[in-house]
Amino acid sequence: MATSHFALHQPQSLSQALDLLEMHRASVRLLAGGTDLVPKLKVGALKVANLVSLQGVPGLGAVAFDEGQGLVIGGTARLAQVAALPEVKRLYPGLAHACSVMATTQIRNMGTVAGNLANAAPSADTAAPLLAYDARVTATNKKGSRDIPLAQFFAGPGLSVLEPGEIITAITVPPPPPKSGSAYQRLSARSQVDICAVGVAASLSLDGQGRLAHCRLACASVAPTPLRCLEAEEMLSGQAPGDDLLDRAAQAAAAAAKPIDDMRASAAYRRQMVEVLSRRVLATCLAQAASLAQAQGGAA
Amino acid sequence: MKTNNPQLIGQSIPRIDGPHKVTGRAIYTDDLKLPGMLYGKLLRSPYAHARIKRIDVSKARALPGVKDVIIGADTPQIKYGNWRLVPESQDELPLAVDKVRFIGDEVAAVAAIDPETAERACELIEVEYEELPAVFSVEDACAEGAPLVHDISKGNVSLVRKISYGDLEGMFQKADYVREDTFRVHAVQHAYLEPCASLAEPDEGGRITLWTSTQTPYLVQCLLASTLGIPENHVRVMKVMVGGGFGGKMELRPWEFCAAFMARRTGKPVKFTLTRVDELAFGRRRHGMTLYSKVGLSKDGKLLAKDFQVMLDGGAYNAMGPTATFLCGTFGNMAYRLPAYRYFGRHVYTNKPPASAMRGFGAPQAYFAMESQLNQAALDLGIDPIDLRIINAMEEGDVIPEVATVSSCGFKQCLEKVRAASGWDEKRKNKKPGHGLGISAFSFISGGVFNWFNTKYNFSSVEVRVYDDGTAHLFSMACDIGQGTDTVLRQILAADLGIGIDKVRLTSMDTSNTPKADLGSWGSRVTLMNGNAILDACRKIKDMLIPVMFTQFDLNQIQDIAFEDDHLFVRSNPKKRLSFAECVYKALRGRRGEPLSAHGFYTPRNRGLVSPAFSFGAQVAEVSVDEQTGLVKVDNIYTAHDCGVTINKRAVEGQLEGAIQMGLGYALHEQFAMQGGRTLNTSFLDYKMPTAQDMPPSVSLEVETYEPEGPFGAKEAGEGLAIPTAASVGHAVYEATGYRCQDLPITPEKILRALGKLK
Ligand SMILES: Cc1cc2nc3c(=O)[nH]c(=O)nc-3n(C[C@H](O)[C@H](O)[C@H](O)COP(=O)(O)OP(=O)(O)OC[C@H]3O[C@@H](n4cnc5c(N)ncnc54)[C@H](O)[C@@H]3O)c2cc1C
Repeated sequence: MATSHFALHQPQSLSQALDLLEMHRASVRLLAGGTDLVPKLKVGALKVANLVSLQGVPGLGAVAFDEGQGLVIGGTARLAQVAALPEVKRLYPGLAHACSVMATTQIRNMGTVAGNLANAAPSADTAAPLLAYDARVTATNKKGSRDIPLAQFFAGPGLSVLEPGEIITAITVPPPPPKSGSAYQRLSARSQVDICAVGVAASLSLDGQGRLAHCRLACASVAPTPLRCLEAEEMLSGQAPGDDLLDRAAQAAAAAAKPIDDMRASAAYRRQMVEVLSRRVLATCLAQAASLAQAQGGAA
Repeated sequence: MKTNNPQLIGQSIPRIDGPHKVTGRAIYTDDLKLPGMLYGKLLRSPYAHARIKRIDVSKARALPGVKDVIIGADTPQIKYGNWRLVPESQDELPLAVDKVRFIGDEVAAVAAIDPETAERACELIEVEYEELPAVFSVEDACAEGAPLVHDISKGNVSLVRKISYGDLEGMFQKADYVREDTFRVHAVQHAYLEPCASLAEPDEGGRITLWTSTQTPYLVQCLLASTLGIPENHVRVMKVMVGGGFGGKMELRPWEFCAAFMARRTGKPVKFTLTRVDELAFGRRRHGMTLYSKVGLSKDGKLLAKDFQVMLDGGAYNAMGPTATFLCGTFGNMAYRLPAYRYFGRHVYTNKPPASAMRGFGAPQAYFAMESQLNQAALDLGIDPIDLRIINAMEEGDVIPEVATVSSCGFKQCLEKVRAASGWDEKRKNKKPGHGLGISAFSFISGGVFNWFNTKYNFSSVEVRVYDDGTAHLFSMACDIGQGTDTVLRQILAADLGIGIDKVRLTSMDTSNTPKADLGSWGSRVTLMNGNAILDACRKIKDMLIPVMFTQFDLNQIQDIAFEDDHLFVRSNPKKRLSFAECVYKALRGRRGEPLSAHGFYTPRNRGLVSPAFSFGAQVAEVSVDEQTGLVKVDNIYTAHDCGVTINKRAVEGQLEGAIQMGLGYALHEQFAMQGGRTLNTSFLDYKMPTAQDMPPSVSLEVETYEPEGPFGAKEAGEGLAIPTAASVGHAVYEATGYRCQDLPITPEKILRALGKLK
């Protein structure tokens, strides 16, 4: 149980932070809220010589929305901060839900969205909704920045495509299309305060003819990485919505899942819950989109 | 309920330790540091069952900073166990000598200058094991030719308890309705928030002072002394805050022995602190059981006979298993009138972490079987489940054969109250799909009568001293492990002497400075037993003060003296009064300076074999089940209970809230993931207890009775409340879905499978 010894660096600017990552590249980790990192250090599951804290780096903590760019979540923005922003609640209800029900109050006040993604747990709660919103991750190193579509970000359990020396400086979510809806649902079979056993997020919009356009369906905890269900998405796009279609898409999502048996749930249960939750989130999305379509149609 | 009780009785006196705990100032064992203190670590067995061929500690001993390394061979090898009355049942050694019997069995201990060095030293101890075939279930352990967990025993059944009365066969023949069921219940853990810790300090003459997270200081004192081979009173167990016990801290533990033993060897204080992993992977648990039950009823719902056969999965040692085996049989027939009953209980060794006492002590298991079965019987007989219970319910004056006479009983009122408050009749008439109400009842003991520890002292003893500054000092070995006895005992003393509770100081749980003895905080015994001892002492104090009043006011002996509001006064003429302080002063003068002090004692006598008093109650759970996900949402819990006269209302409410949390964990959330003898879920991430967010709304309905054997009419409110929830939730889930759980816990997957909705 020995806590490993490490040096804690507290840079006051992004360039200092990038320098420190470079300087200590042999054994270094970024520290954001510490809610993933510190427990791992405590039980000796992770040994690292240097921690570079992002707490003192200015300019990374904001969460802001504008109609052109969409939602920009800074690299050190807290989960609770995201949950509290009115635009997030209104335009990205799936993300708002994830950030307000995952973990516990204390953890949401400390933990960050970037940390949640960089930690790359298959069960990461912000991952599925952000996948459903086509989010992009901005990774910055000493040479500059690159944008990584979130769909290409995860590489395996605990693994991402971030290179050593890179810091997530922002997560950008495009503005939702008109007449769209989105949702996230998660479940744990054991307790309200638990890592999710299954999480499903979706977003979709309706075109002028009332057909489905721009459909996204993503799952957490049912594969080695958070997962986009491409087959289900394709099945839905361009179609007129109906119960039967949603059923079939939910089944396709369940078929795409690659769940395992563990202490939280059996693979069979997980697979079936992908279907149940997919069906539910799609219905919620559709109801939202339909009501917007009605309101916007009425206004037109 | 109208009584002549003092005003203070029944009030919600806030917890005396509350502010300290919530501001982080409370001192627990692990917070203590003494000069020169060493840190202890245990080396545990990686095998479920193995012979120890060789141990080499030389490398560990050579590590700089290591001050002592011990193995079984270094110790006196005196076996211990709580059942001193039956020495053959004492099957534990602090460190394994010949064999290890479960993954986590303690093999060696190290004391070093810091925890890291101690841990590294443990890694350097070389142990050569010869792995042996192991048994992980009661069925395997009882099979022909099964490997023996303890070589000296004949089989793996370590203890048998039989109860039998009435004409069982005859009654079953008379019965119109007979059903047999087998229930399986799982092991769960106390999950007290404070992991165990112990600090031993060597004193001159080889004496030991021990601060330890325990609920039984006196038991630890006696057993530690006997295993060290030193006089009982050379061991002093000291007061410290204890962060919960629930039955998991009521024995001598290897780290208490190792701390004391190494403190004596090194001459330095030695501290052990367990981790949550230690607790979850190797710590005590509630007994998993297989319970076969056959009941016979007449067609109008009268219980006629019950045959109850139980196998307890005891793990590697007896621990408190013998008591659980006895009590499970007792609880099998405690709430209802039953003309014929037979119980056959077997405590079985397996190569798993030992099971022991846990809140309810055999009752949660027995009642889950009993109550689930009665609900099925009610359905088959077409009788409302609450009516069925009322038909059979115990009443005041009833005799529980071989157990006791029930001297107070509000069981029927509980059933009626819970029916009304929960809207039972209307809601059952207008059933909503996916929604259900379930009922379960319970009864529990207020402390045990049976002297398995074989103490030569009274079960509870106190000393009360009063002073002419108007204050009193209570000395009691009782220990507050979070249940609030430090508050309630003061309340009882203050109420009886008629002084403010702020005038009462308390010294508790110090085995050198509090009177012998108190058996500890288990079996819901402290309020009744310690409370009675306090009243006994108060009676003696009053006998010293009353003469002062008689002399002062020249009273006729028919007069009665009241003790209220920090005063003594003549009841028929309250103007004749003296302050408590003044009265003590005058008494002191009269005694030519001899301080006013009195000892009080309580030992239950002529109260049967089991308990001096019994609590009763009934609970209705209301649930909604999502038939697609199988998730159970508990919408409300209504509990009516008879704990005699409530002494501290808030404390009782706290017990109920905590009991619902534990009960729900047992019913729905908690279980160990075992792979053979290995526990896989060793953190709270994977061992899931309900949290505040999982708590349903609840309604508490008190049915006050007056228990003549209890202080101010009180009886237990600690453990009984933790009994009914598994069965009430189980029944509600059945009403909601048609899935009847006979093997706990109730999980979404089991529900969906039973409904044919999950492949
Ligand atoms: C009790 C408890 C409950 C929890 N419940 C949940 C839950 O329900 N759902 C869930 O998804 N998670 C849960 N978590 C996990 C954790 O809280 C979240 O993943 C959180 O979002 C992590 O953020 P953080 O800022 O604390 O990350 P940290 O612990 O600081 O860092 C995590 C990882 O990300 C890296 N990192 C951090 N910031 C950056 C950055 N800007 N750029 C690059 N790399 C970075 C770190 O180096 C580290 O490897 C829980 C944790 C605890 C302790």
